[in-house]
Amino acid sequence: SVYHVFESVAKKYDIMNDSMSLGIHRLWKDTLLHQMNPYPGTQLLDVAGGTETNAGDIAFRFINYIRSQWDHQIRQKLKSHQNLSWQEISKSYQQEENELPGGSQVVVCDINKEMLKIGKQKAQHLGYSEGLSWVVGNAEELPFIDNKFDVYTIAFGIRNVTHIDQALQEAYRVLKPGGRFLCLEFSQVNNPLISRLYDLYSFQVIPVLGEIIAGDWKSYQYLVESIRCFPAQEEFKAMIEDTGFLKVEYQNLTSGIVAIHSGFKL
Amino acid sequence: MRRASDEQKQELPPSSSQQRYESHPPGDRPDQEPQRSHHSYTDQGGEESEDYESEEQLQQRILTAALKFVPAHGWTADAIAEGAKSLGLSVAAAGMFHTDGSELILHFVSQCNSELSNLLEQQQKLVQLGQAEKKKTDQFLRDAVEARLRMLIPYIEKWPQAVSILLLPHNIPASLNLLTSMVDDMWHYAGDQSTDINWYTRRAVLAGIYNTTELVMMQDSSSDFEETWHFLENRIADAMTMGHTAKQVQSTGEALVQGLMGAAVTVKNLAGLNQRR
Repeated sequence: SVYHVFESVAKKYDIMNDSMSLGIHRLWKDTLLHQMNPYPGTQLLDVAGGTETNAGDIAFRFINYIRSQWDHQIRQKLKSHQNLSWQEISKSYQQEENELPGGSQVVVCDINKEMLKIGKQKAQHLGYSEGLSWVVGNAEELPFIDNKFDVYTIAFGIRNVTHIDQALQEAYRVLKPGGRFLCLEFSQVNNPLISRLYDLYSFQVIPVLGEIIAGDWKSYQYLVESIRCFPAQEEFKAMIEDTGFLKVEYQNLTSGIVAIHSGFKL
Repeated sequence: MRRASDEQKQELPPSSSQQRYESHPPGDRPDQEPQRSHHSYTDQGGEESEDYESEEQLQQRILTAALKFVPAHGWTADAIAEGAKSLGLSVAAAGMFHTDGSELILHFVSQCNSELSNLLEQQQKLVQLGQAEKKKTDQFLRDAVEARLRMLIPYIEKWPQAVSILLLPHNIPASLNLLTSMVDDMWHYAGDQSTDINWYTRRAVLAGIYNTTELVMMQDSSSDFEETWHFLENRIADAMTMGHTAKQVQSTGEALVQGLMGAAVTVKNLAGLNQRR
């Protein structure tokens, strides 16, 4: 089945992702969620990274976060001896059954149908079903109406988009007023020492590892080169501002190896 | 940016480009969604009209709206999210603010101080017009402090939490600033003519009175906070007699820091309180 293929491929790519980023990519994604700090009821659009192993990484973390926030809220209320209304109590039982807390939802959108299929299977395997949907679409022309989502995320995906400004405009369009754009992406390292090591690592080590572990030199060489081409932090910030987003900020992670850019539609 | 007056959702017929495919359950079709028309002034080369709202003004509006939700949610990002939602904005807008609720609390304090200023200004006008008697300093200060503290009453349960956040190192410059300007304001309107107390001492004394009374108030379960006002009366009386005998303070820093440190210890103990009974 497709899933078996996924499993063997995924294992290889997982090891690759982990060796490449020394497992740090998990922390980066955790940080993204932490910054997002989604409130129950949030409608999230994740425009996907596009690889088989990344499928659903952000979506699953979002679901976990919302669930634990909700549990925390309920526990706080119990602790402070506030009486939960019958509505709230029944809601907290209900939400396990047919929806995420507060009606939160996440849509994963990608141009790659196979990736979405694999993501769906992965989700079922891991026990994520409610409030999660998988839609085929192009970041430059999203199949959604205006003003629909609270948060738009794109993690390690935007550098592969041909017309970045179009993707940004689409992000703006589908976000509700007050909504937030979040992008996690490789960026320019700001520390000269780290930069030198990073250069050596990316151009010498990564493609070699790619060949040895995943039997795939070319993809990883492409990866490294695409990272170099992507605009640096300030330039990307300016692009986001030009689209119309306000309060645009970025946070460097791991000395700038990746950055999280954030903007609001106000 | 939205016009400040643009509160209504406007129904527009969906154009052909908006007939989108969606994998959503029926009943959620695109042509059933109301279209909101929010004018984005940033698209028009930054043109401003009369009711153009700046980013900062919008943030203020969100924080003001969030205050309603503080009794239920505390001084948190959750309250801000609910505030944004109540204005028709996405809950994600709460992401503009820090998660510890600092800005919400500082906004509230600033608002209360403005309200107090207006109140004292109005009272002064009445005195100038001869429609009211000028109060003696001690009475004036008593009334001013009481009026200001009464603004905390709707939020009193969650106030210890707010004070502990205001005492965090990164918030102290801002909260100290608000405290000193409030105190200076009170003295200004008190119109005290005596010259034997210098400016720093006045600041320190009144700030100390305000802070300690605030702490008492957070533990006061008497009807209409009688005990607090009684305590306030005594502290003011002490201050009036102290003026002539005590050593004058030379800087705001000294006395305020002492006052704050005492407050910090008490608030730590109080912050665990969820109910006043």
